[in-house]
Amino acid sequence: MVASIPYITLAWLVPAFPLLGFLITGLGKNRLKHNQAGILASTMVALSFLTSLFLFFTLRSSGQESATITLFNWISAGDMKIPFAFLIDHLSITMMLIVTGVGALIHIYSIGYMHDDERVNSFFAQMNLFTFSMLLLVMGANYLILFIGWEGVGFCSYLLIGFWFKNPEFNYAARKAFVMNRIGDLGFILGIILLFFTFKSVSFTEVFTQAATLQAGAPLITLITILLLVGAVGKSAQIPLYTWLPDAMAGPTPVSALIHAATMVTAGIYMIARSSILYNLAPITLNIMIGLGLATAIFAAIIGLRQNDIKKVLAYSTVSQLGYMFLALGLGAYSSAVFHLTTHAFFKALLFLGAGSIIHAMGGEQDIRKMGGLRKKMPITYLTFLAGTLAISGIPPFSGFFSKDLILNHAFESSPILYILALGGALITCFYMFRLLYLVFFGNQRLDTAHPHESPRVMTIPLIILSILAVFGGFLNIPSLFGGESGFSDFLHKAITSKVTEEMGASTEIGLIAASLALLGFIIFMAYRTYVKKSVIPAGDKESQSVFAKAISNKFYIDQIYATLFEKPFGFLSDFFFKQIEIKVLDPIIDEIGILTSKLGDQVRKLQQGIMSFYFFAMVAGILLFIIFILIV
Amino acid sequence: MILIIILLLPVITGLFLLLLRNPATVRFIALGSALVNLILTLGLISTVPSTTYTIDSTHFMGTQFTLGYDGISLIMLLLTNLLFPFIILSGFTRAHIKIPVLNFLILFTQSSLIGVFLAQNAFLFYIFWELTLIPVYFILLLWGGENRRAVTLKFFIYTLTGSLFLLFGIIYLYTWTGSLHTTDFSAFNQLHLPADTQTWLFWILFIAFAIKLPIFPFHTWQPSTYTMASKQGVMILAGVMTKMGIYGALRFLFPIVPQGVLFWQNTVITMCLIGVVYASVIAFRQTNIKRLIAFSSMAHISLMAAAMFALNYYSLQGLLFQVISHGVTIVALFYLVHLIQERTGTLELPQMGGLKLAAPNMAILLLMVVLGSIALPLTSGFVGEFLIITGLAKQSIWIAVFGGLTMILGAIYMLYAYQRIMLGDENPALSKIKDVQVIDYLILIPLIAIIFILGVYPQPILNLLEESVNSMQKLLIPANEVVTLFLR
Amino acid sequence: MKEISSAIQLIPLENYIGLSVALFSIGMMGVLFRRNTIAILMCLELMFNSVNLLLTAFSAYHSDPAGQVFVFFIMIVAAAEIAIGLSIVVMMKRNVDSVDINLLNRLKW
Repeated sequence: MVASIPYITLAWLVPAFPLLGFLITGLGKNRLKHNQAGILASTMVALSFLTSLFLFFTLRSSGQESATITLFNWISAGDMKIPFAFLIDHLSITMMLIVTGVGALIHIYSIGYMHDDERVNSFFAQMNLFTFSMLLLVMGANYLILFIGWEGVGFCSYLLIGFWFKNPEFNYAARKAFVMNRIGDLGFILGIILLFFTFKSVSFTEVFTQAATLQAGAPLITLITILLLVGAVGKSAQIPLYTWLPDAMAGPTPVSALIHAATMVTAGIYMIARSSILYNLAPITLNIMIGLGLATAIFAAIIGLRQNDIKKVLAYSTVSQLGYMFLALGLGAYSSAVFHLTTHAFFKALLFLGAGSIIHAMGGEQDIRKMGGLRKKMPITYLTFLAGTLAISGIPPFSGFFSKDLILNHAFESSPILYILALGGALITCFYMFRLLYLVFFGNQRLDTAHPHESPRVMTIPLIILSILAVFGGFLNIPSLFGGESGFSDFLHKAITSKVTEEMGASTEIGLIAASLALLGFIIFMAYRTYVKKSVIPAGDKESQSVFAKAISNKFYIDQIYATLFEKPFGFLSDFFFKQIEIKVLDPIIDEIGILTSKLGDQVRKLQQGIMSFYFFAMVAGILLFIIFILIV
Repeated sequence: MILIIILLLPVITGLFLLLLRNPATVRFIALGSALVNLILTLGLISTVPSTTYTIDSTHFMGTQFTLGYDGISLIMLLLTNLLFPFIILSGFTRAHIKIPVLNFLILFTQSSLIGVFLAQNAFLFYIFWELTLIPVYFILLLWGGENRRAVTLKFFIYTLTGSLFLLFGIIYLYTWTGSLHTTDFSAFNQLHLPADTQTWLFWILFIAFAIKLPIFPFHTWQPSTYTMASKQGVMILAGVMTKMGIYGALRFLFPIVPQGVLFWQNTVITMCLIGVVYASVIAFRQTNIKRLIAFSSMAHISLMAAAMFALNYYSLQGLLFQVISHGVTIVALFYLVHLIQERTGTLELPQMGGLKLAAPNMAILLLMVVLGSIALPLTSGFVGEFLIITGLAKQSIWIAVFGGLTMILGAIYMLYAYQRIMLGDENPALSKIKDVQVIDYLILIPLIAIIFILGVYPQPILNLLEESVNSMQKLLIPANEVVTLFLR
Repeated sequence: MKEISSAIQLIPLENYIGLSVALFSIGMMGVLFRRNTIAILMCLELMFNSVNLLLTAFSAYHSDPAGQVFVFFIMIVAAAEIAIGLSIVVMMKRNVDSVDINLLNRLKW
């Protein structure tokens, strides 16, 4: 199979370019001049993108479904044989294109954004390392290679969130992200181990071939899928492990765009879509995913309503959108999830980069209450941001409409209640996004000290490209209703086994679309009336609010609850173990044994009175006793 | 013959060093000797046709001076001879007094450790086992830190008491050999003791190893000793001497009292897992870096001990791989900690912070070693811990969950420590410290390279162990059947 | 050698044992109850010799020369021991002007 696709073995180049970039920029970070690191790193990712594109066309023209490229044996112990291998199929090539394509744009954008930072070379080294890890994640031919990338991206995310390491809060956020990811990773690795024991292999092709013969709903499969899900929940920031993602906004904005919107957080979606055959066998897990996804989508959207930090709003919207993807996965519509992942990568990267452009212009200010009136000062940013907002809100024909509509349709097929809840979430999304847009770009400028200006071209060009993708990305997968061919879904179906059919009655579908469009229009109008007409500025943190509003502003106190439930008891337990058990119990017991011995010696030595006759007497008496003892026994 | 050379070269060089005065000469000769030993070891490993049991018997003055090796011995030998050049090299940076004596003691330790790992006779093993204590005692006592008298004494007596049980066990086993009158392992392995004898003899033999490892609750000597010990002392202790416990347990318990092992398996695994969680939790709130790393080391060692008693192929492979990995990582970690102490003059975390601004390269090196310690994939720690957790999962998924907690807890306390040392705003007290020097690179770069190379390509080590682990496992399969019959 | 053995065997073994026990008991009593160090040393010698006598007798009766070899060993050890013992006594006399054993009571703890 390998030989039949020409040049497919070049796949190793895709991760090799960013790795090379990382090594050069990392080792030469003190020698590289300004911009050199950025240009080098961007070139490397762009080269990766071109290689991926080449592979994409090669794969499509070959008519083959997949190819495995084995580099060497990584771990081989007894019957455990884990090769360092890449799997190129329709799913991984899609992900590779997203990672390298969006990644390259964000790298280029960063040249402008990070221009004045003194550690810019380190930044690009870490970005390249991230791209490398992410490529390992999506290209790995078995779960363990995926896991390398999985942990690698988590580590790079740690580095980049804490990039400005002088600030202790940023470091805390970085650590929190890593630890929460690791909680998921433990579940994931246990899942992989169970997979290995079940199938005697962790390679995708072998596991899926064998799994196809298994009975649906077997407890073992359910356990494995739940463990893998735990990993995905950690990585993709679902309830209850989502709190790290909003905090992760401490990192530079391109990082938020690349890692915490477009690529890393979608790794969980990718992994579950990849394991679609296993998940199809575990209906219980699928139901859990529906619940988690929907809860996260709505919960995060509600929190997003009252956030005033531009990046936090986008972060909660990311959590919410990931919830939608989980909902799609839970419904068994894996390709819809990946489609939403793709469009989300476009428009959310766009929104983050736009936010970065705004923050750049505002001199580091992130509070939307202090912005306003930027529409005229930054027209390109405004237009691209508008495109992103329309896309995420699901307005046709922007890309988000197609992908979100697909998910809503599947929800409706499953149950109307699911549909209503999901639609409710989408409406909330629409509201807070337009709230953001109106507060930032409309009205009057509220911060006098800042002198907003349009960003340099190195930043605006990626914005323009991404906005084109965000606008037209939906046309990749036009449903048959609009005369399309669902090309994207069909393409993916060679790698993913979806559980549901992708078709439904045209009249129902049109009805649903019409209803949701009407509601969206109403919501946009509401937002316009509130924030543009009435120029309402969200209240400050200290002003009095209703209980419910206050709870939303404080993110439902989830961070505080976690702190009291986990962090404080952990510290307390640590102190208790050390100061009570270690110092007051275990250590003294050992010391006591020593002390006891010497005390015993104190007692025994009193026999030694120094009187020679007594010694003689004792000796003789002892000998006599001994003789008597021998005689008796 | 080559075994005799490897065994005696360090101590003879060490004795020669006592005659010299010039510190530089002494250091270079010691380093040279350690390097020669490393080359000999690598030569030995590359030339052995297979790693099955090989006995290189030398009857020395009528005694049973039997040396030999299998894959497990070779791994231990490799670890010892790999780490000692770095340990000696790490003494180059500081102007110690009595350099000839120090280097003599270090080389003496090396010889006795090699003796432990090569001896094929239980009595000889015991002699070397105790012999290691003597130089280490002096290294700790003469070059130790605060409160060294009390701590060293406690360490010495604690481990010695454990060893006494071992001696009793060896003599008891000797009485079982009957007319053979031997303490050779090969004879002990054929004893097939009755099951009830094995159940109590297990603890007699195990207690010495449990203290040396150490596993919960026999660990109380360890944190204070590590905290007090000098740079080279703690490297020897944490890098190599803890592995003596693993090696001894593998040599004594599994072949000689297999049914005892199976009987106590779950008890010991429980103790180990308690140790994993206990030490990890404690490490979180430590303010002294060395104590923190001491507890972290205890957590890792406990996980390795749990793997040892999970008794399957993966766990044993993982354990022995981790022997190398942990040894290298912990030596690098302790070196860095001492480097930080030498530069900043403190070991207390609250007094640090912002070190990365003054010493960016040190921060990167520390981070890389920390990655190895928290078992990030593509570091050697991951390969070891993955195999270990796989092995634990084969025993029971719950054991694997608790063992796997090191992944989370390790990340919590190591990154917290890293943050408190390196990150944060500029610290005026530490703004003028020197970054990493050439000598530090000479030590750290090879160690870090080993961590990453073994993480990407662990196969040489795994292959070396293949046969020994298989034979070790086979020892237990018949015993397993016996026990199941016995329980019915 | 033969003649000596046969000469020893002229007297029944019980007599040798009886004599040895008597000598040993006298020596032991002397060690226990005398306070003069020189007398104690002499009593020690008496005990040694009772054992020697017994060894010789048994050796002759078993016609095994090993016992008599031991006797020579014991005699040499006893000689060495008494040399040290007497020198201690001399030192004692010089220092405390007495040979009373109970004055040497500092050998404790």
